[in-house]
Amino acid sequence: MHVPVLLKKLTLIVVTAIMLSACASQGGTHNEPHPDDPWEGFNRGVWAFNRGLDKAIVKPIAQGYHYVTPNFIEQGISNFVDNLLYTVTVANLLLQGRFDDFGTALGRLVLNSTFGLGGFVDVATVEGITRHDEDFGQTFAVWGWKDSPYLMLPFLGPSTLRDGIGRIPEIWIDGGDIVVRKTDRIEPLIATILDARVSLLPRDDEIDEAVDSYLFVRDAWLQNRRFKISNGNNDLPDYEFFLDEGESPDATQD
Amino acid sequence: MSIDTNIERFRRSMLISLLLISAVCGNAHAADINYQAEPVELVRQVSEELFERIDSHRAVYEQDQQQLEQMIREVFLPLLNERFSARLILGKHSRGLSDTQINDFADALMNQLLGSYASGLLEFESRDQVQVLPLRGDNSERMTRVQTRITLDSGEKAPVDYVLRKFDDRWQAFDVIVEGISYVATYRNQFNEEISADGFDQVLQRLQKGELQLEKANDDD
Repeated sequence: MHVPVLLKKLTLIVVTAIMLSACASQGGTHNEPHPDDPWEGFNRGVWAFNRGLDKAIVKPIAQGYHYVTPNFIEQGISNFVDNLLYTVTVANLLLQGRFDDFGTALGRLVLNSTFGLGGFVDVATVEGITRHDEDFGQTFAVWGWKDSPYLMLPFLGPSTLRDGIGRIPEIWIDGGDIVVRKTDRIEPLIATILDARVSLLPRDDEIDEAVDSYLFVRDAWLQNRRFKISNGNNDLPDYEFFLDEGESPDATQD
Repeated sequence: MSIDTNIERFRRSMLISLLLISAVCGNAHAADINYQAEPVELVRQVSEELFERIDSHRAVYEQDQQQLEQMIREVFLPLLNERFSARLILGKHSRGLSDTQINDFADALMNQLLGSYASGLLEFESRDQVQVLPLRGDNSERMTRVQTRITLDSGEKAPVDYVLRKFDDRWQAFDVIVEGISYVATYRNQFNEEISADGFDQVLQRLQKGELQLEKANDDD
């Protein structure tokens, strides 16, 4: 069985199990749901599952890998994985009609894949070529699907319904997935997972020390997502509202 | 170990820390940051000074987190209005609280933030890694967003923005936005949940004792 297919099946099993348990534990002490997170009960279940999996398996392996791998090799592998995935950015810049950026991104991909020895050396960054970050979720948002409920995906982590659906076409576009399918080798997939996890290691303390790690990750992820969709031009939080809430008794109705 | 040795050790460490504090304070006069400056200039001066100090005392700070925190308090904290941030974070829960209570909350939160993030600053190798951008976007006479770019080891640039507000006589920052993630907005949701459940006094107490740092999801399991 192909690895992506296997992963999808596993995901399906986990989702079903968590939905069942979420249904069973309905009617907790919960107050009004967050507008961006109507499925919080379910999401918290998946979050707990992901955290358990991470603590037991993924994080220890990532730490071991980070510890034993010489820095330049780790960086090389990270560049290689990023370059494979960059096909997704290139395709989505085109889909969003950003032709100049598409040209730049395509140039980056070609440069790194050739002079960068198949992506191991990030020549493009050294040359000062901008690195874009686009995916199908962002494209859907640009096309008009602005708001979408927060959705914690098993194995994959924070997402929204829109961005989760955006992961499906990726299977045919992501260079990493293509290599895995064509060669029947899972090394690129393992490298992708390890690289993604290692890059998050510095954030672990922040997450562990959060008052409520689920909320911390959700709020941070949603804000960062809006930032990416707006290409860095997102609005500031509504500070005046925060302030009014504390000052006038009728600013909020709870 | 006898009580005498304990007292002796305590006295010695007090002495050493007093010496260190005075040494650090002595340094502070050497640098004159104009905390009355306009937003962009203010952020530029403060970040330059911060990295200058880290550059020149790196070995000391790596050994001694206390000194690092002390230095950050001196250079960075005058830039911030943490009381204002605290009011925004508390939102509706700040209604009916006294100024003292809000100040206590602001101090406790600042202590925790310093404890968690101070050492992160040591990862920066040089002050060239910080670039303060000229103003752009919607800024008013009372509120300004100063954008900076921090170059990471990989060569990528991380956007870090400071949101400043003009308080009585000078500009001060009350929010930091890293890659679009506002600390005020993020902490607001977390504390809202916590305070709604346990009340302000209890949450403040736990924050002061450092107990809110504990991973909560695990205890529930």
